[in-house]
Amino acid sequence: MSIQASSTEGSFAVLRRLHGLMREQRGWMVFGAALAVLSTLSGIGLLAVSGYFITSMALVGAGGAAINYYTPSALIRLFAILRTGGRYGERLVTHEATLRMLARLRVWLFARLVPLAPAALGELRSAELFSRLRADVDALEHAYLGVLIPMLVATVVMVVVVVVSLIYLPWLALPLLLLFLFGGGLLPAWALRQGRVPGATVVACNETLLALAADGLRGRAELALYGAEKAHADRLAAVVARQRRAQRRIDRLQALGSAGVMLSAQLAAVSALLLGLSALRGGLLGGPDLVMLALLVPAAFEAIAPLPEAWTQLASTLVSARRVFALADTPVPVPEPSQPSPSPSIRQHDLSLRGLRLRYGANGPWVLDGVDLDLPQGRHIALVGASGAGKSSLIGALTRLYPSEGSVTLGGSALDAWHGDDLRARIGVVEQRPYLFDASLRDNLRLARPDATAEQLDHVIEQAQLSDYVTGLPQGLRTWVGEDGIRVSGGEARRIAIARALLADPPILLLDEPAEGLDAGTVADLYAALRAAMVGRSVLLITHRLGGLADMVDEVATMRDGQIVDCIPVADYLARFDFSRGNEASFPVSTCCW
Amino acid sequence: MGPALCRSRILEYPMTVSTTTWLREQVRPVRRLLVAGIASGGVQAVLVCVGAWLVAHVLDRAVLAGGGLTRLWPFVAALVLIALARFGLSLWQRRATFDAGAQVSDNVRNALEQRMRQLGPRWAVQQSSGDIVTRCVDGVQALVPYYAGYLPQVALTALIPLLILLAVLPADPWSALILLLTAPLIPLFMVLIGDTAERASQRRWSRLRRMGARFMDALSGLTTLRLCRATAREEALLAASGEAYRQETMAVLRIAFLSALVLEFFATVSIAVLAVLIGFRLMWGTLGFEQGLFVLLLAPELFLPLRALGTQRHRRMEAAAAAEDLVALLAVPDGTTSVEGAVTAPVIFAARQIALAFEQVDFGYEPERIVLCDVELEVAAGTVLTLVGSSGSGKSTLFNLLMGFASPQRGCIRANGQDLASLEMNSWRQHIGWVSQRAHVFHGSLRDNLLIAAPTADETRLQRALKAASLRSVVARLPQGLDTPLGEHGHGLSGGERQRLALARAWLRDAPLLLLDEPVQHLDAVTAAAIDVAIDALAEGRTVIRIAHRLDNLADDARVAVLADGRIVEQGLVGELRALHGAFARLLATDCAA
Repeated sequence: MSIQASSTEGSFAVLRRLHGLMREQRGWMVFGAALAVLSTLSGIGLLAVSGYFITSMALVGAGGAAINYYTPSALIRLFAILRTGGRYGERLVTHEATLRMLARLRVWLFARLVPLAPAALGELRSAELFSRLRADVDALEHAYLGVLIPMLVATVVMVVVVVVSLIYLPWLALPLLLLFLFGGGLLPAWALRQGRVPGATVVACNETLLALAADGLRGRAELALYGAEKAHADRLAAVVARQRRAQRRIDRLQALGSAGVMLSAQLAAVSALLLGLSALRGGLLGGPDLVMLALLVPAAFEAIAPLPEAWTQLASTLVSARRVFALADTPVPVPEPSQPSPSPSIRQHDLSLRGLRLRYGANGPWVLDGVDLDLPQGRHIALVGASGAGKSSLIGALTRLYPSEGSVTLGGSALDAWHGDDLRARIGVVEQRPYLFDASLRDNLRLARPDATAEQLDHVIEQAQLSDYVTGLPQGLRTWVGEDGIRVSGGEARRIAIARALLADPPILLLDEPAEGLDAGTVADLYAALRAAMVGRSVLLITHRLGGLADMVDEVATMRDGQIVDCIPVADYLARFDFSRGNEASFPVSTCCW
Repeated sequence: MGPALCRSRILEYPMTVSTTTWLREQVRPVRRLLVAGIASGGVQAVLVCVGAWLVAHVLDRAVLAGGGLTRLWPFVAALVLIALARFGLSLWQRRATFDAGAQVSDNVRNALEQRMRQLGPRWAVQQSSGDIVTRCVDGVQALVPYYAGYLPQVALTALIPLLILLAVLPADPWSALILLLTAPLIPLFMVLIGDTAERASQRRWSRLRRMGARFMDALSGLTTLRLCRATAREEALLAASGEAYRQETMAVLRIAFLSALVLEFFATVSIAVLAVLIGFRLMWGTLGFEQGLFVLLLAPELFLPLRALGTQRHRRMEAAAAAEDLVALLAVPDGTTSVEGAVTAPVIFAARQIALAFEQVDFGYEPERIVLCDVELEVAAGTVLTLVGSSGSGKSTLFNLLMGFASPQRGCIRANGQDLASLEMNSWRQHIGWVSQRAHVFHGSLRDNLLIAAPTADETRLQRALKAASLRSVVARLPQGLDTPLGEHGHGLSGGERQRLALARAWLRDAPLLLLDEPVQHLDAVTAAAIDVAIDALAEGRTVIRIAHRLDNLADDARVAVLADGRIVEQGLVGELRALHGAFARLLATDCAA
């Protein structure tokens, strides 16, 4: 399933599921919502009681009977305190709830994504989709603060105000209700619907813009050479203009939404005046009550003001939730055996592959098409072949990150029955592009063995020829690497990965083109590191380089079209090449030295 | 500097002076629109005052003088008119300020595009990270809300309370005094909000972002985590870090929300105090009801703009962050890479055959870093010259000079005797076909990508180009053939295919000078052979300069120039050079040993 595909669940099902994820924080969420309602109502109450109070006092001043002014003035003070304290408490508690939810949601999503990587997350490698996932998770986190709270507060306020008006001025309840529904529901919902098409245009244009901007950077030489710079700029300008029109439309709709709330508030105030004046004349309503209502009604509409925004947020939350759930629900590509053999113990580590087949996608071509290979314990085999022959896929199949068919046995035990982690404890991998985490160098190294001692670390650092490098770093092993830290060159990254793999001390080591794209000096260091690392282990070395191979491996296996076509001693293999003259007649052309 | 420090430097964006100035400078062209928007906001505030007086007047007449609708309806009708006017004005305000923001972002985008053009391809290829693209596209977008929302709100926050104070003063000087006592606190709030709270909320955002970054880091490295069997531990760490961040963040928030609490406190308390004081003065008869009610209605409006400003603050932070990137990009020094516009009366170049001569050419991207030194080369029309040399010896720079992406600091390059510097660049570039190692794949279809080299080519020519570059199998694979959008849903081009795309473009270009950068990429034998044949066919009868990475298959009679550290150290036929045991022979030897 692609992560672009949204699940087809209905909006309510999605919301219910989202709610399920938030269950643990329910106490905090309810508390926060209660405080939000309390402080909003207090603010409205403050104005209403103030209106009532000053009118009563004015009537006393104009010669009416004395009144009890202690109660309203006490209420005013109470509402002022509740309003102030409530707002502060509300903000703290709702943020507490959000932060709790955020932590929970990320851990949940991480746990769901682990078994999917990398086979079912292929598309996540694209930066665009990755940043979309990030935005989606953010959107889910803000569902509570941005959607739930404003909607809940508005609903409660609406009910309270309608009930109050039913008590004092029943006819007012009808226009109030209608205006509430219009300003807080119908108008924003309409604006949202109208904004759907321009909204999609904005998103689509943004993607095109990113692509075009990348063209302008990476393809600048071609643009200049072919005299296409002006055409490119025009194309960019056209997309910008299209996006601008859509954004303008959305902005107008949003403006209409908030202006609509304002208009509703004032029309409600006018209705209160009109109905109240008649009721006052008829003696059905007291003067202070009329003023109270006249202040209460517009104040109540302030609770509706955030609704247009909340509706928009709700729509994007639903879209995000669908995408995230669809991703989390992706079937696990390589399920663990239901009853893995408990921590298998084997005495030797002869690896044997028979008829191993692998393909990406149910209808794709077989990338591995019946691989037979024996890697006896301690043997070093180089795997060569043109790109696309399936060399790297073999690593994916052996580490069980990708689903495969056929049989793989380790020390005579079928690996199918093992838990993936047990398997990967014995088969270490040095990836072609090792990922370095945004953490200290030490943490990056200790990934595979968190309890490694300082001596063990020093040992693997020396083996991986990293000693000089680490000594040269300003903070040694504590130096921060990754996105926010120091830049690590390709050669250094691979040596770090080698040290990392060695620290786990696996009996079998798979190396994926460790020298690819490195210059000669770097390769020499790297090969020195590798030779030290390979001692006493079985090694499968995927490579394009013949230089230095004679000292590294015992045999060379050649791969073509997803099969191992021969596996011969390294000396015999190298004898096929005549180094004095470029001789391309012999297979394979592409592995010739360069 | 510790890792924590260096990370916070990246994540928090203090408004540096230059950024602030830059943001302010962008206002100039849109000043009229902004002023119109702000004026509209001011008029709305005046209307609010008038509306409050109308309501106060109607209620005063009704409650104290027993006035009914028959006499008061004009006032109520005026209220409706005011409501409609405010509705219209607020729409108009949004329209003006949005246009202002949009215009600024258009201006900045144009400036960026122009800047990229000036900086040229040399600079562009150095920008290895796609980050800069995203940052610019998103950054330009982030400017819109700053000019459309934040800036007008700042002005209104200064303007509206002043207007309201002026309205209250004649009605009730005592209340005006109370508000005036709180009024000096308003700038204080602004400082509180604009400074302390901003810093606190920046810290809060940086923490949230850091946690988000950690989560995304874990997802990016999921495969590595699985290979290292570290997923369970990472999950626990994520949960723990979520918890730690929550506690830290809440500690920050408890203080950050205090400034909002202060604002809320003053807003609420001043209303409560006003209400109580007005009430008692009404009872004592020292204040008219109409005036008292008017003040009570207006008091909350005084604090509204401040609250609104609080909700806009994040826009300022986002714009500041974006501006930082944009300013940095706009301020990249030109260096020596720009060549356009150097000559006053450029000569249009036209020729069927091209003979090239480099005369004592010196070049360095920066004055102190010489890349080419005293290069003397001659290539007769219709002949082939092969450039060899280790990476960084200046081979690609030679191509950049030929394509006019840079110009020599000393000496000159002559085509058929004419100095390149005197030529109209586009007319010169039309005579060049370029086969790069990896053609840039532009956003669009394969057809678009071919037509960029020859916009007028017809279908037959395109098909012949595809055949010549062995790209027909690729077209067959794409669901909509030539018109399939590339780069989406996995319809990308592999490295080898991109090289063939470059070949097809050069074929379409049919230019007398061919610049050929041989592939390092490993291709399967059949394709490699097909491409060699295609290249040979293309080279027929043209002047060719080729960069060779593989030395073993050079024919004995090929003419070679050996570059080392920017100098031509040997020139001659392969056979002679090999016998010479000089630089070429050494290069050949090291190349095979690596």
